[in-house]
Amino acid sequence: MASPNLPTFNGSSVDAHAPGHSTDESITRDGFKVTVRKLPILKAGPIEDMTKKLGIAPPEMIFGDNLARIEHPQSGWSIEFNAFDALDRVDKTGESMLKVSYSKEWQENRQKQFEEIKEVVKPFDWSYSTDYKGTISGPQFQPTDKPIPIDLLMRQDPILFFSEVMLYEDELADNGIAMLSCKIRVMPQRMLLLSRFFMRLDGVLFRIRDTRVYIEFSTGEVIREYTAHEEKYDVVRAALVGGTDDVLAIMRDPNQLIKKDRALVPIVERSLDRVVLK
Amino acid sequence: MSIGGSDLDKAIAQLRACRPIPENQVRELCYKARELLIEEGNVVGVNAPVTICGDIHGQFHDLMELFRVGGDVPDTNYLFMGDFVDRGFYSLESFLLLLCLKVRYPDRLTLIRGNHESRQITTVYGFYDECLRKYGSANVWRYCCDVFDYLALGALVTGASTSLTPTDGPLSDTLNADTLPDPDAELEIETLSSTGEIMYRYARNSSPQASSQPTSNPPSSPNASTTPSRVGAAGTGATSSANGSTHNEGGAVLCVHGGLSPLIDKIDKIRLLDRKQEVPHEGAMCDLLWSDPDEIDGWGLSPRGAGFLFGADIVKHFNHQNDLSLIARAHQLVMEGFKEMFDNTIVTVWSAPNYCYRCGNVAAILELDEDGSNEGYVRRSNGDAGRLKAPLVQKRLEGPGRRYRVFEAAPQDSRGMPAKKPVADYFL
Repeated sequence: MASPNLPTFNGSSVDAHAPGHSTDESITRDGFKVTVRKLPILKAGPIEDMTKKLGIAPPEMIFGDNLARIEHPQSGWSIEFNAFDALDRVDKTGESMLKVSYSKEWQENRQKQFEEIKEVVKPFDWSYSTDYKGTISGPQFQPTDKPIPIDLLMRQDPILFFSEVMLYEDELADNGIAMLSCKIRVMPQRMLLLSRFFMRLDGVLFRIRDTRVYIEFSTGEVIREYTAHEEKYDVVRAALVGGTDDVLAIMRDPNQLIKKDRALVPIVERSLDRVVLK
Repeated sequence: MSIGGSDLDKAIAQLRACRPIPENQVRELCYKARELLIEEGNVVGVNAPVTICGDIHGQFHDLMELFRVGGDVPDTNYLFMGDFVDRGFYSLESFLLLLCLKVRYPDRLTLIRGNHESRQITTVYGFYDECLRKYGSANVWRYCCDVFDYLALGALVTGASTSLTPTDGPLSDTLNADTLPDPDAELEIETLSSTGEIMYRYARNSSPQASSQPTSNPPSSPNASTTPSRVGAAGTGATSSANGSTHNEGGAVLCVHGGLSPLIDKIDKIRLLDRKQEVPHEGAMCDLLWSDPDEIDGWGLSPRGAGFLFGADIVKHFNHQNDLSLIARAHQLVMEGFKEMFDNTIVTVWSAPNYCYRCGNVAAILELDEDGSNEGYVRRSNGDAGRLKAPLVQKRLEGPGRRYRVFEAAPQDSRGMPAKKPVADYFL
């Protein structure tokens, strides 16, 4: 099939409409409007702009135009998840910088041969670890003890709207994976959004940081839960080897790593807050 | 069971249909390939014309699209800069097809090693699992890894023309005809779409910002100086301070997967490495497959704690020392399919469109024409004492004419599988 796309002057197509990519998806339910936007990764120009604004190099797969947003127009409240705001919370100083597994060996060898090359270029947290909980406008969340009612989410209510959107991904120079993505499902009486940061640095560390936004339509109650999981790579691996599991498959799957009955990567931080929208 | 002659053609036909060949044929093929590759030096000599390709990453249907856009083997002479496997769903079919073509047409296909052509990396990023899934054992993976160890580390392209013959094709709708160079001007860069539309043209020595960019080298022809100023295309480097390559004598093009190494100041040092091993975690061989160019001065350390970054001065000095006009490398995803840096002295070529089936990027291949007048590459003696002292006033070798063909992912219906729609699930 000849491409019907309009090419731009520089060789890439205007809408680069690759398979699996589409424009906005949206649903409105009981005064809550859910929007998901899925577009290709950013081009060179926008990446340069973002690099300047952020002060760090964005991940190699940067879906800077993508977003997941929930709006409640009546109260003027909204929460949005986008790559820029998530990356703006990544450590830009290099203070919490990780090192790849073979770094020590590599460094020792280098020091023997190239003493003069010692400047680390633009240090920052290149694992792109973020504690992003969404960008909010309107009424603010207040701390609460009230958990998200899991039992209500376990019911097989019909799913009226489902979407998944990638915000960024980086292969950590083939040392693992870092990715931030959002999933949304809307049922007749309630909805759930999960924003998940998943990072595996091979031979070093696992991190899973989840932000869940639960909305009960009839009461206008919004509960937000943040849970951070973390464990050393060797500890996870040791727990898995010798068993019958497919070790590599599990280490790629955050759901398996934080299963309730067998939390290979335990919770290290948790917070709950809520807001009721009228 | 031998895989020669018609058997080889049968295997090629089967792999072109994206169907794996039996394990015993893979063993035979890998044995033949090893025999062939062992004869190649660490740096393979390649004569232009040649089409240079970047990462493929098991995206078989997009590799077919690449051959559709760039011409089939053996009609087109190809040079692949590694990372054939991992990430995509069809690493096995992609690599075996390339290997079959290599054995069938050894002089029309050059394969060099990427950092993914390694036991350790393929265990983590998909190729190992794929072999296990498709054959029920790791044997095929082992045969392939043995071939990886014999792949060359680089290629040196000589005989490339310094100017392109303009491609006869329709102008893209988005191309402003006023920005086209004078028809008589020497064409340095041309970008074509997958359907052959002309998307961009750039004449040698024409200044993209004529008023604000003083040129240190006078234009080579009066035509070039009167060419109207134009905005260069992203990817070509013509938007930066680069005014294309400056007119001078022609040079060769070094192709490597990653980049340079502080241990390698002369290409001859690459030739001395013992390459027939797993990619080491450090040293020159590792650097050639792993390092990246960056906007820095000199050499730098990656913030990840391993790996080198190198700046424009390193590239320019290396090119001068080795009579090169350009380094072509792959290794990094670029949305536009290619990206020239450092005054057009290095280019990243990326050939996996819609990378990982979700990035929505375009891919590119780089075509270098043959120098019909045989004036292209003049080998100078190494070790010219004067060069070391004055790296900043060194003469620039004229870069090859560069034709980039940009293409998108193969249409969904050519993949023989339905578009993957996200399945609603009761995630918690």
